Amino acid sequence: MSGLLTTSVGSLPKPPELQAARNKMLRGELAREELEQMERDATAFWIKSQEDLGIDILVDGEMDRGDMVTYFSELLEGFTISGLVRSYGNRYYRKPIANGPIGRKKPMTLKTWEYAQSLTSKPVKGMLTGPYTIAEWSFNEYYSTFEEFVMEVAKVVHEEAMDLERAGAKYIQIDEPAASTRPEEMELVAKSMAVVTKGLSAYTLTHICYGDFEAVIDDLNSIPVDNLDMETANQDYSLLELFRGHKSSKHLSLGVTDVHTHEIESLEQVKAGIRKGLEVFSPEQLFIGPDCGLKTRTADESIAKLKVMVQAVNEIKAELGIA
Amino acid sequence: MITTVVGNYPKIGPGTKAPNLRTAIGKGDRGEMTPEEIMGVRAQVTAEVIQEQINAGIDLVTDGLIRWDDGQTYLAKAISGFSFTGLIRYFDTNTYFRQPVVEGLLKWSKPITVADYEFASFNSSKPVKAVLTGPYTLAKLSQDQQYHDQKRLVLDLAEVLNQEAKALQAAGATVIQFDEPAILKHKEDFPLFQEAMDRLTQGLNPTLALYTYFDDISGVYPAFLKLPFQIFGLDYVMGKANWDVVKEVPSDVSFGLGVINARNTKMETEAEIADAIKRIAPIVPTERLYINPNCGLEFLPRETAYQKLVRMVEGSKKAVEVTA
Ligand SMILES: [Zn+2]
Repeated sequence: MSGLLTTSVGSLPKPPELQAARNKMLRGELAREELEQMERDATAFWIKSQEDLGIDILVDGEMDRGDMVTYFSELLEGFTISGLVRSYGNRYYRKPIANGPIGRKKPMTLKTWEYAQSLTSKPVKGMLTGPYTIAEWSFNEYYSTFEEFVMEVAKVVHEEAMDLERAGAKYIQIDEPAASTRPEEMELVAKSMAVVTKGLSAYTLTHICYGDFEAVIDDLNSIPVDNLDMETANQDYSLLELFRGHKSSKHLSLGVTDVHTHEIESLEQVKAGIRKGLEVFSPEQLFIGPDCGLKTRTADESIAKLKVMVQAVNEIKAELGIA
Repeated sequence: MITTVVGNYPKIGPGTKAPNLRTAIGKGDRGEMTPEEIMGVRAQVTAEVIQEQINAGIDLVTDGLIRWDDGQTYLAKAISGFSFTGLIRYFDTNTYFRQPVVEGLLKWSKPITVADYEFASFNSSKPVKAVLTGPYTLAKLSQDQQYHDQKRLVLDLAEVLNQEAKALQAAGATVIQFDEPAILKHKEDFPLFQEAMDRLTQGLNPTLALYTYFDDISGVYPAFLKLPFQIFGLDYVMGKANWDVVKEVPSDVSFGLGVINARNTKMETEAEIADAIKRIAPIVPTERLYINPNCGLEFLPRETAYQKLVRMVEGSKKAVEVTA
């Protein structure tokens, strides 16, 4: 029997000097090549760290991405970038503006994925942002309807996913953190995801953040991916109750550490969370990861949280006799 | 016709003279700036955004809510009985706030926004509107672990905010606006809302405004426009149905026409703004009209927010020329 594979949602903390270097590059004070070298070093650090921790499915940590939507819109045709807008507290981001037809000039994430995968024999996930989220987190000055905007973006995300698969990616995650924004649009999330995952043979996942899923649990279950990656720890695992009542054949990536607190969860806390997951899903169906991207934490906090997570998984696997 | 804004204004932007608030808060997190120094920066930014609104041609300004992280926590932090839990999404926007938790009986203990109002008035050559989140919305966006009775919770909050408004009145506030977007998402609660609004507005002499956004008032019209306020702010961008729903406005009230989309960078044209004003004119004469964005401007980058206000003022002038 196998099961309880461990993974991360996507982003991992960047070394502070990398952020400083990126700003320097933007001001023209640092060559792009130097920044890219630093990004590769940081990626190598995280690949090694995840291997040392014993994580099963790795991520490159998104060392070269400022933001999960802006990163793509900067590489796509049809987008410009706005000034800074605030998302909460003291967090700001530059919001893309669609002001022409969206198109892909060239592969966007391939080089980084290939580099990360070259460093390890463990699988590295291809990481994409989904069309609904790209559209939802952008200003729209071009398309006449939001739906048209989403479906056009879906085509370019699909092209990128196909490129990742051709390069050998076994796992492709298409994140839709915005999918819970408007429950009545979960159907559009699924419809656009169908365009993205059409013809893919790789194992597909989608991560969805925050939200009240009660009204949309069936639509959530209908999103055409193999694995739903959900935040659960910071909701005290209440989401599992919804899945209990709406049995899913999908796999679930269970979030067992809260990414918005400095506090490191105790081993017992994480084990209790995994046990709750096992009440509703079989070990084969269940992946274990953090609630969300860890980029908001420090490297030390992230490693400590992941360490507890892996240990908790190992202890439970031993109890269950899972290899 | 008076041009105004709904509440918040972007806190940072390029080429501004005041220190960058984001940088200051970052320094505060690293222990390089004291909370007092950060409050000083917030004050400088507040003065700057007031001037920016005036430069754009706005007649009735706000302090831009530069001291507020969001519409809930700034008030809830100062009301006894609240604590806070995780981040949650603010309606269907891409902004989040730390959710207030009602842990005890809610009580007003001291003025929350009075010093802010005084600062803004002192720093503005134009009249200043005080802005508060209404009791219903504040209750709806909080987690209740104390009352287990929505009605009592909302009415207690109405009492708390009534006292805050009285403190603003004592400080000389002439216009006080209450924001109640949540009622449009739960229209079944309108009877309770009416009761809360009565409680909220008791004994207040300033001009009182009730602003809604992100939706239309179908289902609660015409009763909505009979609530005890002198100005009603309606969203004609996200609540397009308001055009069909609102056919008559009582002659003793003014109207806040939300015609600029504060959630998208696409610029309205002067003609679009003027057309909207002309379209509403048979229902509300221009002398009882406030022209404003559909909601707070903080969803936009600072430079776009400013440009939109300039455009709004120009479009309003154009409408006056045409209707005159
Ligand atoms: Zn997330």
